[in-house]
Amino acid sequence: MYKKLAKTEFPRFFEGLGNLGKVYGPVNIEGSTYEFREVQSPEEMDLKYTRTMIPPKKFFLGTKETMYTFDEEKAVYTPAIGKQEKTIIFGIHACDIHALKLLDKVYMDELMDLFYTMKRRNTILIGISCHPDEYCFCKSMGTSYATDGFDLFLHELSDGYFVRVGSEKGHQIIEANKPLFIDADEKDVEEFKMNEKKRLEEFNLELNVLGLQDMLDLAYESPVWQETADECFGCGTCNLTCPTCRCYDVVDYVGLDLKTGERVRRWDSCMLRKHGLVAGGLNFRPTRTERLRNRFNCKGSLTEGMLNCVGCGRCTVYCPAEINFVEVMKKVIGEL
Amino acid sequence: MAKPKLGIFSLTGCGGDQLMILNMENELLDLLSYFEIKDFQEGSSYHEDVELDIALVEGSVSTETDLKRLKEIREKSKTLIALGDCAIGGCVQAMRNGQMSMAERMKKVYGVEEDYYDVLEPKGLSAHVKVDLEIPGCPIEKTEIFRAITSLLHGDLPETIDYPVCVECKLNGYPCVLVEKGMPCLGPLTTAGCDARCPGLGLDCIGCRGPIPDEANAAAELDVLLEKGYDEKYIINRLRFFGGNFEDIQKLTKKISERRNKTEGNE
Repeated sequence: MYKKLAKTEFPRFFEGLGNLGKVYGPVNIEGSTYEFREVQSPEEMDLKYTRTMIPPKKFFLGTKETMYTFDEEKAVYTPAIGKQEKTIIFGIHACDIHALKLLDKVYMDELMDLFYTMKRRNTILIGISCHPDEYCFCKSMGTSYATDGFDLFLHELSDGYFVRVGSEKGHQIIEANKPLFIDADEKDVEEFKMNEKKRLEEFNLELNVLGLQDMLDLAYESPVWQETADECFGCGTCNLTCPTCRCYDVVDYVGLDLKTGERVRRWDSCMLRKHGLVAGGLNFRPTRTERLRNRFNCKGSLTEGMLNCVGCGRCTVYCPAEINFVEVMKKVIGEL
Repeated sequence: MAKPKLGIFSLTGCGGDQLMILNMENELLDLLSYFEIKDFQEGSSYHEDVELDIALVEGSVSTETDLKRLKEIREKSKTLIALGDCAIGGCVQAMRNGQMSMAERMKKVYGVEEDYYDVLEPKGLSAHVKVDLEIPGCPIEKTEIFRAITSLLHGDLPETIDYPVCVECKLNGYPCVLVEKGMPCLGPLTTAGCDARCPGLGLDCIGCRGPIPDEANAAAELDVLLEKGYDEKYIINRLRFFGGNFEDIQKLTKKISERRNKTEGNE
């Protein structure tokens, strides 16, 4: 279903979302750092944002979260399920929607993660159209447009938004706000199509992903891994800002009574030394070179038919060592 | 079961790590009640020279007296825990390690060459004896020592942190002061555990928890900061402030001073 939301109706529409739950939108924190924060009014958001530093996965997989509390004496453990709040993520980009689709496969379809699933089911995703900057390469990854995985998607028009509905929840929102939406006319459809076409021409960065898995396999001994690892801090920023990275580490903390405690998980990174450390003291990726090669191979591999990279550019933008993901990939596969 | 016997000792340092233990006001009494305390220099003048289950030692080995004392403590303790940066890598008093002899340092600071104090090049405990666990910090974090002690009492291996401050900045969503503002942040090299306190306040990390042993990429930090326009000497001094005893940083210093001498020789 395609609708139109006029610019003049936008504030009322946004206000109405507040009745459905807590609304989070992209807010500029500093320089190129944006963050999805709770917002009360559209003015607090910057809908022309490039990317948030921390991807939307934070809503479903807490950066640091308690999973269970335990009591050894009573031999019980209790899942730490807090109050479940309805959440609306407003202004999510197509690449991040694709990343969430991937995380959904891993955390809900493959093996259901209780904490992820509960939060995910309580969330409404409202997408917004964007323009690429020099770090975006979602076009190459096939993630520059989202056909599904959202509830509503707003495409900016000169006098409003062209709205695509992606789910039952999306229909319900339109239904509940019926007077605000009108049917998109021919002129709107033309503008939407034209904008999408123009947008595709705005991409400057490209990465050829055809046969990427084979190219990476064949480049296992490439000197580029070592050269890049020499520049790399192994700080984990690339993983932690990556919308598809999904490793976590688990630690138990025991309380002062030495009987009760909590099991906590926090985002992990395969660039960190202990990621490859297993019981008995063996580390199967002891050097930074091995860890870096592993990361690039992981990003270039497939999970249920989807690449583990959506081309959002975060790992390049926020890398303190200024390592450029696309450039390294191209060097490795021999295109640079 | 008998309570484990605990001793808390100081070598050369400011005493700040013991102070952090004393600062754990809400948990201190309950926590200490699990132990028989045989030595706690900053907490009590009571002292008993007996075999210990756990010894917590802060301060660097900077004198012959320190070394003798450390060896005695090691001898009588089942588990030896190095508490704080001084006890791990010598901390600030080690900033000229490998760069200047002790005699030169005495001359520069005190204006004399006599070695009044039987000084040794300041080092952490592990340079001299076997250390079972290291808890970094200048000073240590209360949460970290609390967790280490409760883990040990519970019969677990305490969690050791060997990832950099960048991780904590990201987990907290703090904008990167290095990337956004070009500040000379040492976060990418520095052992986390502080919850990125300084970057969280918009300040650059000065590396007070020390570089991550055998992992910190000091050469990359030098390159990044040089490119941002910082002076080479300034960067090296900054790296050395808390990391003077670390091999990579010493190698880097050496490489640079050799290069400098060469250029000066050519001129």
